[in-house]
Amino acid sequence: FQDQAEQFFRSSHTNNWAVLVCTSRFWFNYRHVANTLSVYRSVKRLGIPDSHIVLMLADDMACNPRNPKPATVFSHKNMELNVYGDDVEVDYRSYEVTVENFLRVLTGRIPPSTPRSKRLLSDDRSNILIYMTGHGGNGFLKFQDSEEITNVELADAFEQMWQKRRYNELLFIIDTCQGASMYERFYSPNIMALASSQVGEDSLSHQPDLGIGVHLMDRYTFYVLEFLEEIHPASQTNMNDLFQVCPKSLCVSTPGHRTDLFQRDPQNVLITDFFGSVRKVEITAETISLDPNLTTFESKPPKEELAAEPLKYAEQLPVAQIIHQKPKQKDWHPPGGFILGLWALIIMVFFKSYGIKHMKHIF
Amino acid sequence: MAAPLVLVVLAAVTVRAALFRSSLAAFISERVEVASPLSAWKRVVEGLALLDLGVSPYSGAVFHETPLIIYLFHFLIEYAELVFMITDVLTAVALYLAIQDFNKVVFKKQKLLIELDKYASDVAELIRTPMEMHYIPLKVALFYLLNPYTVMSCVAKSTCSINNTVIAFFILATIKGSAFLSAIFLALATYQSLYPVTLFAPALLYLLQRQFIPVKLKSKSFWLYTLQYGALYLCSLVVIICLSFFLLNSWDFIPSVYGFILSVPDLTPNIGLFWYFFAEMFEHFSLFFVCVFQINVFFYTIPLAVKLKEHPMFFMFVQLAIISIFKSYPTVGDVALYMALLPVWSHLYRFLQNIFMLSCVLVVCSLLFPVLWHLWIYAGSANSNFYYAITLTFNIGQILLISDYFYAFLRREYYLTHGLYLQKQDGTEAMLVLK
Repeated sequence: FQDQAEQFFRSSHTNNWAVLVCTSRFWFNYRHVANTLSVYRSVKRLGIPDSHIVLMLADDMACNPRNPKPATVFSHKNMELNVYGDDVEVDYRSYEVTVENFLRVLTGRIPPSTPRSKRLLSDDRSNILIYMTGHGGNGFLKFQDSEEITNVELADAFEQMWQKRRYNELLFIIDTCQGASMYERFYSPNIMALASSQVGEDSLSHQPDLGIGVHLMDRYTFYVLEFLEEIHPASQTNMNDLFQVCPKSLCVSTPGHRTDLFQRDPQNVLITDFFGSVRKVEITAETISLDPNLTTFESKPPKEELAAEPLKYAEQLPVAQIIHQKPKQKDWHPPGGFILGLWALIIMVFFKSYGIKHMKHIF
Repeated sequence: MAAPLVLVVLAAVTVRAALFRSSLAAFISERVEVASPLSAWKRVVEGLALLDLGVSPYSGAVFHETPLIIYLFHFLIEYAELVFMITDVLTAVALYLAIQDFNKVVFKKQKLLIELDKYASDVAELIRTPMEMHYIPLKVALFYLLNPYTVMSCVAKSTCSINNTVIAFFILATIKGSAFLSAIFLALATYQSLYPVTLFAPALLYLLQRQFIPVKLKSKSFWLYTLQYGALYLCSLVVIICLSFFLLNSWDFIPSVYGFILSVPDLTPNIGLFWYFFAEMFEHFSLFFVCVFQINVFFYTIPLAVKLKEHPMFFMFVQLAIISIFKSYPTVGDVALYMALLPVWSHLYRFLQNIFMLSCVLVVCSLLFPVLWHLWIYAGSANSNFYYAITLTFNIGQILLISDYFYAFLRREYYLTHGLYLQKQDGTEAMLVLK
């Protein structure tokens, strides 16, 4: 039971959040909205409630005038699966999906008037899933056809989140062309990233539906979703299986992942650690004594010097040090040599032009 | 003549003091026409604050004034208003004394030429009398002190006033004939804003005239004197620059001051011609056009020297005007300086062709500057083209003013030697045309 109790604490998160972003608008980018809504559905099915999901859709496909089947967004051809419905809560819609709003959601720097549903109220024990889809390039992701977010900005936003203790662990999935470039610049700990294609490759879409007239899904997300369909809240499937999803034969592009910033071994990370909101409840009639030094779960030695710090809460500069950090107000004085030289010159000029004979009038 | 001057000075000081205490002071010091990136008071304060924090004031492209200004204001920062009022007064007094002496020289020369019978017989009405020249110095001081441009410049505490003072002292020293002081003040002026180097030529010509050395390329005494004056100037410039090095122990100020003046990186709108062009220039061409624009200032010196070698003071006036029109960051303070010298040539009034229209253009443009600025920046219903149009018109007005005076001057000289009523070969009346 000791083991079981320790297993209880294997993953150190207590709540789950999801930020699902579709960045493209216009009818022909139907598939990006369908991608995001499908992930939304899976994540909801696995337990994350709407209050913990920030869904950002850049355009309204369901009510688009070009949609032959209004109020539906299909994710499978032959209109098999409608991922829209009246229980879809879109938090940021249409023109509200901007780089600024996205970064504000992530970092929490939101105006006080923002409603709760639009906030990412995560804390240092939250595992966050961030899924982004749209059109991207080497180092950037296009928002709304008018602006871009760069990988550097994203990495800095995640660092801000880390410094503000807004996540415990973060899973970043991106399904765009050259998606791997977006996770290249991350430098904060506890981030795992997956992308649908490497730099220089394009992510391709899956299947067009001739009835609707557009491609309905992207390949990578399609196969990820097929994979997620097998997951249920009690699954023990781990991340290594997710990395195998969509090999090159199916996806045409090479999916990539990045785990070097992540503390735990992906083998030990459950899919439901990020995609579901699994409450750690185990009913037992026995009493278990918890060892006060539960250090065995930190079996992995910290890989980088950051690791010792981040596992403790709120390691900050002592306030006293901060107060005394004002720069000392040293007054600047012109050097003595300069003053001497200047006035010597001035006096020389004066006497040269007016003659030495004036000297005796002064002294 | 001292009493009226003192009265004028008192009036000017009162006006400035009143404006300093009013709420207009803050408004005026923000105006781009008065405060350029080179001369804004805000930047001087910022530079001094950076220095207090232990950082070089030239880091960060905020402060573009010379180290001597740092030294001056390090101790006088609390009395800044007084300093600027005193500089204005000093400029006016210097100009007053200079023009007084100059008038004496002009009169003497005129007497000499009359006795040598160089003038034609019917030019009696063109001869200048001491009576009419009596009030000119006072008018010059008045024009400088009570010019709205100067007042605004002083209230904004723009360092352009200090530059004007140095140039005024340079003019005084030149007219008094002291090559040594003239070289030193010219070096100071050049050190501060680089363009006064073109005033070397008129000053040299004037000093040669005073020494009765004829300006002939083959004459040895000419070259000797030129070399002497040039050496004095260059040595003092080098000494001042080296001294500035010792203030902060770095040569940072050279790219910050001279590099800034020459390469025009800051394109804040002002009353000059550079900003608009370079705001839309491709990077590829900007070096070429910067060179072209900068050459424009220095280009007129040699032709004017050739044409006006007998009249170096007029040459100096035209050169000052050209500097203030074509310099990279002009302000109305520069305009005020050469406008102060207009009364010296008030006898040319009868030959000026467009004076009414030009004065209207200048006045209207000055009034439209803040209007179109407001429309562009605050109301958003105009754009930079409107402001640039007014800038262009203002500068065209200035250029036409100068060329008008230039032509009037040449006409008068021609009439003096050839008679007022010109006749062609066959006896009909002839017209003098500028080719």
